[in-house]
Amino acid sequence: MAAATYPPPPPYYRLYKDYLQDPKSAPEPPPPVEGTYLCYGGNYTTDDVIPSLEDQGVRQLYPKGPNVDFKKELRSLNRELQLHILELADVLVERPSQYARRVEDISLIFKNLHHLLNSLRPHQARATLIHILELQIQRRKQAVEDIKRRREEAQKLLKEAVGTLEGQ
Amino acid sequence: MDIISQLQEQVDTIASHAFNTIGTLQRDAPPVRLSSNYPEPPPPPPANPAEDMAEQSKQMSVALVKAAKRFDALVTALPLSEGGEEAQLRRIAELQAENDAVGQELQKQLEAAEKALKQVVELFAQATDNCLNLKKPD
Repeated sequence: MAAATYPPPPPYYRLYKDYLQDPKSAPEPPPPVEGTYLCYGGNYTTDDVIPSLEDQGVRQLYPKGPNVDFKKELRSLNRELQLHILELADVLVERPSQYARRVEDISLIFKNLHHLLNSLRPHQARATLIHILELQIQRRKQAVEDIKRRREEAQKLLKEAVGTLEGQ
Repeated sequence: MDIISQLQEQVDTIASHAFNTIGTLQRDAPPVRLSSNYPEPPPPPPANPAEDMAEQSKQMSVALVKAAKRFDALVTALPLSEGGEEAQLRRIAELQAENDAVGQELQKQLEAAEKALKQVVELFAQATDNCLNLKKPD
């Protein structure tokens, strides 16, 4: 793979010369990539995970563990945030030179809040999937009912037609 | 907009209210007396700014508290089903199995309906042929 600024198109096109006559003479498309891959000089991974806060060097304020109670933690972080804002206002009145620590605390709380909200996204994705599956099942059942009904109607009509013809 | 995006926007709103409040207070605050050795600071310009400031700071703090309350309300409205990831994955597997079963039944019904349709079309063709051939009924 050329690593130039404007690389030429890959030379594989020659292998597909007889594709129209014999589709099997050309190579199969490559299988999907697994693991990490290189794209335009950057490393990407196929495994999508949200990097944890520690990976970004940010202290995590809410308790770790398998199942975090999101609502409770979000509410307590909100309260902490309000208290810190009040503290900042107080510090500015009394000891203005110590604002930096307070501002850092406030930004730490915001980072935790956003990280919590981001970690709710996979849950939301699964819930959306469940909802879509339920909708699809409902539509399919409806379609089955409709087809059954129409078939029965058609049978009835045919019987009536036979009856009419014989009665003639 | 979905609730998580609303929550994220609400967090950003709280942040902007917070730094607007602090910034406005800091910018508009009257100068403070450092020590009794220094002379009194010159009196501030006519008292309008003082009233405006009190009014403004009240409005800003009301907005901040309102934003925080709205955030709490949104958090309460989160449809977070208990059970966590495994419960959701199990439900997805169940739903997929049910979906497959219903899909197969749908396929069967569809095939039967198509067969019936073919039969009816054939019979109709025969009947019309007979109709056309028998010019006079006997």
